[in-house]
Amino acid sequence: MLRHTALLAAAALALAGAARADTAADGKVLYEQKCAACHTIGGGDRIGPDLHGVAARRPEAWLLHFITAPDKMIAAKDEVAVRLYEKYNRIIMPNLGLSEADARAVLAHIQAMTAGAVPAAAAARPSPLPQPELAAPQSAVLTTFLVLAALIVAVFGWIALSTRSPAEVDVKRAYGVRKVFFVTAAVVLVALLVATLPRAPYARADLKPDRIVHVAARQFDFVFSDEPIVRATDIGRVPTIQRLALKAGTLVEFRVTSLDVNHGFGLYGPQRQLVAQTQAMPGYVNRLVVRLAEPGQYKAFCLEYCAAGHHLMQVGLTVE
Amino acid sequence: MRAVKSQTLYWMAITFVLFPVLILLGIYMRSVQAGALPALEGWFYPMMTLHGVGMVGVWYVAAVACAANVLAKYAAPSPAIGRLAIAGTVVGVLLLLACVFLGRFAAGWYFLYPLPFKGEWPAWSAVVFLVSLTVLGATWLVWSLDLLRAIAARYSLGQALGWHYLAGRSDPVLPPAVLIITVSLIASVAALVAGVIMLVLFYLELATGAPNDALLMKNLIFFFGHTLVNLALYLGVALAYEVLPEYAGRPWKTNKVVVISWNAVLAIVLVAYFHHLYMDVVQPGVLLYIGQVASYASAIPAAVVTIFGALLLVYRARMRWNLASILFFLGLAGWAIGGVGAVIDSTISANVRLHNTLWVPAHFHTYMVAGLVFLVVAYFYHVCQEAAAAPERTGYQKLLATLMVLGAYGFFLMFYLSGAYSVPRRFAAYPAELAHGAIYSGIAAAFAALFLLGFVLYLVETGKRWRRALAHAS
Repeated sequence: MLRHTALLAAAALALAGAARADTAADGKVLYEQKCAACHTIGGGDRIGPDLHGVAARRPEAWLLHFITAPDKMIAAKDEVAVRLYEKYNRIIMPNLGLSEADARAVLAHIQAMTAGAVPAAAAARPSPLPQPELAAPQSAVLTTFLVLAALIVAVFGWIALSTRSPAEVDVKRAYGVRKVFFVTAAVVLVALLVATLPRAPYARADLKPDRIVHVAARQFDFVFSDEPIVRATDIGRVPTIQRLALKAGTLVEFRVTSLDVNHGFGLYGPQRQLVAQTQAMPGYVNRLVVRLAEPGQYKAFCLEYCAAGHHLMQVGLTVE
Repeated sequence: MRAVKSQTLYWMAITFVLFPVLILLGIYMRSVQAGALPALEGWFYPMMTLHGVGMVGVWYVAAVACAANVLAKYAAPSPAIGRLAIAGTVVGVLLLLACVFLGRFAAGWYFLYPLPFKGEWPAWSAVVFLVSLTVLGATWLVWSLDLLRAIAARYSLGQALGWHYLAGRSDPVLPPAVLIITVSLIASVAALVAGVIMLVLFYLELATGAPNDALLMKNLIFFFGHTLVNLALYLGVALAYEVLPEYAGRPWKTNKVVVISWNAVLAIVLVAYFHHLYMDVVQPGVLLYIGQVASYASAIPAAVVTIFGALLLVYRARMRWNLASILFFLGLAGWAIGGVGAVIDSTISANVRLHNTLWVPAHFHTYMVAGLVFLVVAYFYHVCQEAAAAPERTGYQKLLATLMVLGAYGFFLMFYLSGAYSVPRRFAAYPAELAHGAIYSGIAAAFAALFLLGFVLYLVETGKRWRRALAHAS
């Protein structure tokens, strides 16, 4: 039943030749590269458990063994490892290729962070969410669909009922009706094309955003930064934005890429409605330019399926 | 012809077994999303993969099998290739089951590169999945080519595409079904070749370790998947052209407008897939705009020619309503309603709010289930009833059709509402911000169960006739 997340394994291979860490500072880099996609320190459970105070909960020898060889411990049916595997949706922690020195450095970082972090359970309760509202564009879409669907049902119903009183049909006249239908449909569709194509949300070369935010997506989190992150090894070395806050009305350009598989960067507004999105694709940077007018808490969810932790992949930002 | 008829009955049996199982997987998925099956949540994504690949595959082969049966009236498909298609499909399905159930492979039905190599499943399961698709793709490519060969033995390419009608000639007479099947099979070959190229690129990466280009792979997978799904639907429409006139007591013939329409479809279907890449801004912009133009253009031949033609055929006709004609009629309505949802989604400025929300499964379930499935099961019933000539229970047939319609549109509506409320597709569980998605999921599961009940009643009605038809054929 051995499984692996090849993303992290690949990142581990990429790091194979890198210098080994033996300090808490290097432990921070390793933690952000290897652990932060699935764990928090005091921020609550994600793909895996919250690591706040983990050094106090488990013996050091067990932790060092688990960090360096989680796959072997599960294969050996270590009781705690198997319990964690079952609890966290049977997603096995991959073997990250860390040495014992690396593991010690990561543990030192977790302990340093634990000392300064408030555990999730003790943190302030999040404010209740507003009722989900149908934003104007989505409302227009749904209404248009329901009206046209009802029209189709009515026409089919009328035609079906007409068979109760059979009669010959004037085909010539019917073809005349078809001509009118064709012209009407063609005019409506062309008008819709003319009206909607210029509203396509693609970034224009002449558009100058107020703020550029780089977004690196990876299984299973998003990393914000002011500088590009193009490789897994950039994480922990390029300064990241821990809490992204933007002023209301800011024209922001998100430059979105992926460090592993395809992801979606779907931006949800305070009313829990999708306001904009783009794909995060390995090897490419997609530009998403959006004006965030409404103040409040926004969330970005992954909207392209990316494996077992897909539905847990999210990041928050604030518009003030 | 007799051999092809027997094979059609075997394809029916395969469909009758697999479809209810795949529906159950769909109900399971919606139940997990509703929070009703927490202990089984870990299987969500593998089952999502099986449900998606299974449904697309089953209804593609079912549609091609029906097309082959129709073609057998006008041309001579090879029975040996027909047997190969059945054998290859069975082998492909077994490999698929192995990688999903033994390996928990879960890259989804369109397995966007490089996800098959980067999931929590073992590497062997990704290889088995790719081999499974290779077997299925190669088998279906050979099958499609043989059906085209059979058409070519009777008609020249120009005749099979109806070009002589454009010159004012109607000799040889070309049944509309043959025209649509020709168009669909040409598109099928293009899609399957793209699929083969994509699989070769996957294998090359496995062999050499050299990574592929994610954007190129995305284009290949969507060209392959989108085209295959669309042409399956067109094959379903071909069945309506072939059979519905028998129930209406009126002809539905090829003419200039029908020829122009379906030749246009051939061009449109090959470029409409760009609408799957609207949110990939790095794709050359002109291709994205072509995606919207082509998607809109596809509505004209569908709505103005086929739907209008079908309505004209039925209008005030001495219609013989039975399970087949009811389902054909409903199938065309489902195609039209799903088409509206699809055209809305293909509008770039709307897609930015709908892409990868549940609006997407909303419209494709509408035209696949209430469109293609209804058209194909209508044809299945028609073939079985033709052979069995059994007395028909009108009330029972209306009841089961009603259950299928209520169940189907009930669970579609939950998808549409969820999509409008920005609930994402493919989430095993919903975060607090999207918790309202769970309510729609629970209601959808109940409606899907109603649809399944209707389909089971359909199986009872058609199964008896199928057994007699099989006895006749053998």
